[in-house]
Amino acid sequence: MSLMKCCFDPPEVPDVIESMVQKCTDPGCCCGCCSALRPRYKRLVDNIFPINPQDGLVKSNMEKLTFYSLSSPEKLDRIGEYLFQKAARDISRKRYGFVIIAMEAMDQLLVACHAQTLNLFVESFLKMVQKLLESTEPQLQILATQSFVRFANIEEDTPSYHRRYDFFVSKFSAMCHSNEYGEARDKIRLAGIRGLQAVVRKTVSDDLVENIWEPVHMDKIVPSLLFNMQDSAFYLKESYNMEIAPEDQIDPPLLAETCMRELVGRASFGHIRVVLRPVLRHFDLHQLWVPNQFAIHIFRIIMFSIQAQYSYTVVESLMAHLDENSKSSPTIRTSIADVLSKIIAIAAGESVGPSVLEIINSLLSHLRDSVRHGLSQTDEKQYQEALINALGEFANHLPDYQKIEIMMFIMSKIPFPLVDNNTPADNLLQSILLKSLLKVGTKYQTIHFNNTFPVSFLEPLLRMSLAPDPDMRLLVQKILHTLIDRHHNLEQLIKPTINAGGLALTLETSSRPDLIFINKHGAMLYDALYTSLQINTNTIENIEAIYTTLALLCVELASTETVIDLLQLVLGIQNLALTSADLTNTQKNNLHAIVACLFVLISTIANMNTLTDYANKVIKARRKEAPHLLPDLLTQYPAKSESANKLPHLLIDQMAVCEYLKSSGFDATRLMQTSPYGAGRLGAYAGTHRHSWVEVGARGSIVEIPGTTEVDSVSSSPGVQKKLPEEELTFESMKRVLTEPPEIRKEAEAERREKLCHTFRTATFEELVHRTQPKHDLLQNKLNEIFKSLSSTETHQSPSQMDKKPSIPVYEQNFPELFLY
Amino acid sequence: MCTMEDFKFLFKVVLVGNAGVGKTCLVRRFTQGLFPPGQGATIGVDFMIKTVEVDNDKVKLQIWDTAGQERFRSITQSYYRSAHALILVYDISCQPTFDCLPDWLREIEEYASSKVLRILVGNKIDREDREIPTFVGEDFAARHNMYFLETSAKEAENVEKLFMKIAEDLMQVQAKNKDLPRYESSTTNISGRTSSVSDSSCCSKLT
Ligand SMILES: Nc1nc2c(ncn2[C@@H]2O[C@H](COP(=O)(O)OP(=O)(O)O)[C@@H](O)[C@H]2O)c(=O)[nH]1
Ligand SMILES: [Mg+2]
Repeated sequence: MSLMKCCFDPPEVPDVIESMVQKCTDPGCCCGCCSALRPRYKRLVDNIFPINPQDGLVKSNMEKLTFYSLSSPEKLDRIGEYLFQKAARDISRKRYGFVIIAMEAMDQLLVACHAQTLNLFVESFLKMVQKLLESTEPQLQILATQSFVRFANIEEDTPSYHRRYDFFVSKFSAMCHSNEYGEARDKIRLAGIRGLQAVVRKTVSDDLVENIWEPVHMDKIVPSLLFNMQDSAFYLKESYNMEIAPEDQIDPPLLAETCMRELVGRASFGHIRVVLRPVLRHFDLHQLWVPNQFAIHIFRIIMFSIQAQYSYTVVESLMAHLDENSKSSPTIRTSIADVLSKIIAIAAGESVGPSVLEIINSLLSHLRDSVRHGLSQTDEKQYQEALINALGEFANHLPDYQKIEIMMFIMSKIPFPLVDNNTPADNLLQSILLKSLLKVGTKYQTIHFNNTFPVSFLEPLLRMSLAPDPDMRLLVQKILHTLIDRHHNLEQLIKPTINAGGLALTLETSSRPDLIFINKHGAMLYDALYTSLQINTNTIENIEAIYTTLALLCVELASTETVIDLLQLVLGIQNLALTSADLTNTQKNNLHAIVACLFVLISTIANMNTLTDYANKVIKARRKEAPHLLPDLLTQYPAKSESANKLPHLLIDQMAVCEYLKSSGFDATRLMQTSPYGAGRLGAYAGTHRHSWVEVGARGSIVEIPGTTEVDSVSSSPGVQKKLPEEELTFESMKRVLTEPPEIRKEAEAERREKLCHTFRTATFEELVHRTQPKHDLLQNKLNEIFKSLSSTETHQSPSQMDKKPSIPVYEQNFPELFLY
Repeated sequence: MCTMEDFKFLFKVVLVGNAGVGKTCLVRRFTQGLFPPGQGATIGVDFMIKTVEVDNDKVKLQIWDTAGQERFRSITQSYYRSAHALILVYDISCQPTFDCLPDWLREIEEYASSKVLRILVGNKIDREDREIPTFVGEDFAARHNMYFLETSAKEAENVEKLFMKIAEDLMQVQAKNKDLPRYESSTTNISGRTSSVSDSSCCSKLT
C-alpha cells in the first residue's frame, strides 16, 4: 500500500507521474516500482485517479477498468472493496476530491455491470455510500445520496435479502431535518428527501428485501416529509403548480410533497394505517390542527394519492383520531372535524355499502358524545357544526338513494320519546340530529315524493314535527321545506303573503307518482301539519314555517285533487282559529293570516278565477276592517283588534267556496261533507282523535327502521299489521291495483270495518278508555293517527262516496272530469 | 486488506433529554473535540460517528443526537428502538431538566428495547450555579438502574470517559454472548430485522 502511494504522493513531479500513469495503461506494462507486486485490478483502479483531484476521473482509464470488470466479473467485488478502502482513507484524510472520484467510478461500474456478480459489488458500493453519509461534509452527503438514488433505480437480478436499509432511512430522515447554515441546509434536506424516496422505491416492491412499511421506518419517513412540507407557506397558495417547476427550482416542500404522494399511492390496504398514524401524531405534536390549512392540504394530498378503494380508511382514521382527542379542546376537535369535512367528499365517491353507514354512524356518535359532554359552550357548538358539516359534505357526494338511506339512518338515531321530561342533553341531541338531517336533506334533490318520503322516513319525521320543543318543530318544517321544494320556490314562500299573483313561482304539472304519493300519504301529512298548528307553544316562526310547508305542497302538487284537500285543510285551520280553547288570541290571528294567504295562493295556482276573486274580496275587507287577520304575523296585536269570531263576514265561508268551486267545474262534494278537521273538534293534539285506535291498529304500518332498537320503543303499535294490498307501492302492487277487480278492494275495506266493529264489541269499556286515554298516551295516539293513510280519509265520507271511490281505478284519479256526474 | 476504517462492532447510541441541556455539545465534544459556539437547537435528529478502540478492537459508535422539544417527539422516538445505549442528559444547573427525567424514562420504557443500556448524565458541571447536587443525581440513577456520570462538554470533563464506558460496557455484554453469532441477536434483540449488524470480519455486512 505504501508502495502504491509512492506513485501518487510527490506532487512536485507531476510530469513524471503523468507519464507513468500513461504507461500503466498498457496492459503489458508495469507501474514503475510497484507494478509487479500489485494485482492487476488494483492497478486499474489506481489509474483512474488523477494526480490533482480537480482534474477529475481519468476517463480513458475508467473505460479500461470498466472493460476489465465486464470481462472478469468475478473480480468485481474486490474492485468494489478496494475502491471503498481507498475512499475511506481519503475521507479520514479529508482529501474529498479523491473521494468524489472514487464514488463516481463506483457509480459507473454499477451502471455498466448488470451481471449477477453485481451483488457483492453492491455491498461495497453501499458501504461507500454509508461512509460518505457518515462524514460531516455536506458535499459528500449529497454526493452519496445521488449515488444511492442511482443505485435504487437499478433493477438487481437477485436482490440481496440480508441487506438492510435501516441506516439509510435513519440517516436520510436526519438529513431531512438538517440545520446547517446557509444554502447547504436546503441542499441536505433535498438530498434527505431524495434518499427516502429512493429507499421507498427500492424496497417497496419486494417485502423480502426490507419491509419499508414497518412502523420503525414509517415513523421516521413520514414526519420527515411532513416537516419539510410544513416548513413553507406554499401550501397556502392555491394554484401552486408543480408541473412547471424546473428541476433546479425544486425546493424541499415540493419534493417532499411528491414523495409523500408516491408513498401514499404505493400503500396497500394494510399499510395505510402505518402511514397515517405518524401523520396524525405529527399534527398533534407540532400543533398543526389549529389553524388547519396545512392539515387540510396534507389530507387532500393523501386523499388524492391513495388508491381510491382505500380512501375511506383515511376518513376512519381521522374519526378515530377525533375519538383520541375527546379530551382535547373543542377548538382542536372542531379543526379536525373541519379537515374531515374537507376530505370526506373525496371518500364519498368510493364508499360503498357498510362503510357509508359506518362513517355516518361514527359522525353521529361523535355528535352524541359532544352533546353529552359539553352542553352549552360556544366552542363545543362549533365542533358540532363542523361535524354536521362533515356529515353534509359526505352525504352530498353520495348518490341520492344513499342520501335517503342516510336520512332514515339519522332519523333512527334520534332519541324518542319526545315527551316534556327529556333531559336537556336529549333535547340537544334531537335538535342536533335534526340539524344533520336538514343538512343532508339540503343536499338531496327530490324528484319523486314517493322516493323521498318512504313511509318509514315520513312517519317518524312527522312524529318529530309534533315535538314539545318549538325549535325542534321548526327544524322539522325546514327539513320538509328542503325536501318538498323541487322548483326553488322556497324563498318566495318563506313569508306568508296575500299577493300570490305577484309571485314568480315555477310550476310544473304533477307527475303520476306524485299524485299517487299524495293520495296515499296526503292525509297523514296534512293531519300532522294541522295538529302542529294546534300547539300553543308555537311561535310566529313555527306558524310561518307550517305555512311554507303547505304553500310548497300546494305549488308542487297542484292538482284538482290536492286543491280540494288543501282547501279543506285551510278551512279546518280557520275553524281551529275560531274554536280553539288552547291558543292565544295572537296565535289565532296568526292562523287567520296564513289562512288568507294560503287561500289566495291555492286559488291562484289552481287558476280558479272566481275563487281568487272571492279570496281577494275577503282580503280587501280584512285590510279595511281587520288588518290583524292578515300578514305580517305579529307577536303582539293592537289591543282594540276585534276577535275574528265577531267578524263572520271577514271569514272564508265554506258554502261560498263550494259554490265557486262548482261554478269552476269542480266536484266540491267532499268539501261540503264533514271536515276531518271538523268544527267543535278539540283537535287531536288536545286528546281527541277522529280515527279510532282500532282502525289504526288494523291499518298502521310500523316500519322497522334499520338498526333502531333503542329508538322504536314508542312506535309500540301491536306489531306489523297486514297492509291493504295497494298500500305498498311496488310495480306489482300497482299492477294489482290497476287490474284487480274492485271487489277485492272492497273486501279488504269490509274486513277492516268488520274488525273495527268487532273490537268495539268485544273490548271492555276500561280497555277502550285506557287505550284511547289522551294524556299519557298522547304521543302514541298522535303517532297512530299519523299512521293512517289514504283510505282512512274515506272513512269520513258518505257511504255512497265510499262505495264508489274504490271502484275508480287509481289511474283515473288524475282525470277529475270522470268524477263528474 | 484491513484498514483503519474497519471496525469490529457497531453500537448505536441515542442521546435524549430536555432541550438545552447540552446533548449536542457532548456529541460534538466527543466526535470533533470542540465546544461549538452558539449553534442552533437541534431539530429532529442529528447524526455523528466515532470509532474508538476497546481492548484493541475497533468499535464504531453511531451517535444519534435528538431534539429535546416535544414537537419532534414522534421522529425522535422512532430512533430509540434500535439504540444499544441511551444517554439521558440533564443540566445540573437547571432543576426543571432534572424534574423531567421521569417523563423521559417513561418514554424510554415505551419506545426503547428493555435491554438497552441506560446512562444518566448531569452536564455542565463547570457552572457555578449548580442546582442539583451530585448525590441527588446518583440517587436517581441508582433507583432507576442506570449508570451515572457528571460531565462538562465545555471543559471536556468526563466526556471521553462517558462514551468509552459505554463502548466498553457494550463490548462486555457482547463478549458474554460471544457464542452467539451476532451482537444483535444476543444482547438487545431490538425489533427484529431493523437492528444493526456488526460483523467480525473486516468486510462486514452493511448495517
Ligand atoms: N457551561 C456549559 N454550557 C454548556 C455545556 N454544554 C452545553 N452548554 C451550553 O448549553 C446550551 C445548549 O447546548 P446544546 O448542546 O445545544 O443543548 P441540547 O439542546 O441538549 O443539544 C448552549 O448554549 C451550550 O453552549 C457545558 O458543559 N457547560
Ligand atoms: Mg441539540
